[in-house]
Amino acid sequence: MHKEKDIISGCLSGSRRDQELLYRRYAPRLYAVCLQYAGNTEEARDVLQEGFIKIFENLSRFSHEGSFEGWMRRIIVNTALERYRNRYYLTRVDDIDDVTEPEADPENNDFAGLAAFDLLNMIMELPPKYRMVFNLYAIEGYSHKEIGEMVGISEGTSKSNLSRAREILQKKVMILTGVTRRLVNV
Amino acid sequence: MFDREPNIDIVFRNGLKNMEVLPPADVWDNIPPMPVRPSRFRIITGIAAGVAALVSLTLLATWYIRSNTIGNTQTELILAGGELQAVTIDGNATLADAPLAEESARVIIMQAAPPQARALANEAVLSMPAEEPLPLLASADMPPSEEKNDESVTLSPDDITIITSGRLPGVEEGLKTVLTPGSGVTAGQRFMVGASVSPAMGLSPGGQDIRLSELMNSEKSRPSYSTGLTFGYKISNRLTIQSGIGLASIGQTISGVDVFAGLSGFYAVKSSYLYSVETAAGLILAGNTDLYLADSKDRVGTLIQGNAADPSKYQLTQVGDDIRQVFRYLELPLVLRYKVIDSKVGLNLSGGVAYGFLVDNMAYTGEGSDMITVGHTEGINPHNLSSQLGLGMEYNISKKISFNLEPVFRYYMTPLSDISGPLYKPYSVGVFSGFFFKF
Repeated sequence: MHKEKDIISGCLSGSRRDQELLYRRYAPRLYAVCLQYAGNTEEARDVLQEGFIKIFENLSRFSHEGSFEGWMRRIIVNTALERYRNRYYLTRVDDIDDVTEPEADPENNDFAGLAAFDLLNMIMELPPKYRMVFNLYAIEGYSHKEIGEMVGISEGTSKSNLSRAREILQKKVMILTGVTRRLVNV
Repeated sequence: MFDREPNIDIVFRNGLKNMEVLPPADVWDNIPPMPVRPSRFRIITGIAAGVAALVSLTLLATWYIRSNTIGNTQTELILAGGELQAVTIDGNATLADAPLAEESARVIIMQAAPPQARALANEAVLSMPAEEPLPLLASADMPPSEEKNDESVTLSPDDITIITSGRLPGVEEGLKTVLTPGSGVTAGQRFMVGASVSPAMGLSPGGQDIRLSELMNSEKSRPSYSTGLTFGYKISNRLTIQSGIGLASIGQTISGVDVFAGLSGFYAVKSSYLYSVETAAGLILAGNTDLYLADSKDRVGTLIQGNAADPSKYQLTQVGDDIRQVFRYLELPLVLRYKVIDSKVGLNLSGGVAYGFLVDNMAYTGEGSDMITVGHTEGINPHNLSSQLGLGMEYNISKKISFNLEPVFRYYMTPLSDISGPLYKPYSVGVFSGFFFKF
């Protein structure tokens, strides 16, 4: 098994073999990320291709201090974000400043059995603006302020988009699992 | 409203964690090869190669300019009445414009060689038959000649023009006699042929590539050499263009790879090779499927899968603990050689390029009669282009035979292997030596 560091140095020396090795190793995981953000396979494929070109172009800047996969993931997310910004005109919705964040309940694993593919499909079916904010907030862990700067919307818009995205996803989850009681107080 | 909700964020975050989806197969095909930023080493060697090319071009240009400016500015030595005077003729003036008495002899000499010219002129004066005094044509002073040498002075006929007029019938012949070069090259010796050998020590760049550096820690360049026949043509007294045909060999030893023989008695082979060894020059594919290769540095790969076999448990015979890679190229060089010092023991500056065709690519272990072929290195470029720069001695054993001894720096401009990437361009420092016959 080739070490990650060896593959990176091989890529930096121009070895096409190592570049392919790196691609084969990480492309499946990063393609899943692309699908989360892109919403359809065609767009995801373009994001993956563009993202890997950027990864190779900027590989010499990777400092080997953090996670390499995390570094690549950020490039992919930024690529998706860039394409999103160029493609969609963001419709401003009313800012909601007083949206209360749901309390995290790590022990609530009733939906843990959901297949990853189902979850991915649910995200892909979200409207682009909701999908983008949900991914950045819930999956990547950015704050609303950061999302606002990244996407070019206000913090309030980010919150309202997130709220709407959660609402839609919850309904889909309930429908898929047949669990309706989760919509009410537990 | 609800005071608690199932945390949909966590459901999705955990659910999608480590999810993998195979991308469409053609995405990779549309990703262009990664651009390679040149390392400091490549820049330096590139500059060295550039300097070599520049030196060659400069020498060529110098020769061209010199050959086209002869006669434009020249010193005229005037023999008159047994005395010698000098006058400089303007570049645009013709010889006919220069003042010349009826009874005088002029020796037109290039400014590039005034000391020898003066010596020769003095010789001419001495050898002149006594005649009645002739009028002086110019009053320029001629410095006393200190380089007078009765034995030999090297000047070619191209450098000196003799014009006589008036009543000095014996002067031209006398001058010609004096001007006959001692050890210099006559116009007839424009061609040369010789045999040469250049032992060299190959060196390999590591640069900033971590993996290459790691691999090269256990690799040692083998002494390389190039031999061949050289043909030369003397463009001018100082400049020679050389070409020919030669065989160049470069290689390296990969240490720490244990090689065992006898595997074919235990394992049925289904492929053209079973083991591979990663090296800085490329991947060695062990086509000899009787061999089992092992190392402790994660360089050896195998096609033997999982539990199919465990050769380390077989009774095998160790036949080596290293592997040698050898690449031989048939080379066609093109070299310009400039004589910086032109005398019996001269100093030459040379620069040029050589185009090589790969004729042998071998990996083996053991030596002599114990040598066992392992396989070959995959992806080695079938052609290469190298540049060279040398500065060395030329000893003229006789008028027709010379011996050259010249330290040469050589740099392979094309990568040795496509697989290992463009940074692996070996270079060598060697000594070009050979005998040349001039005719």
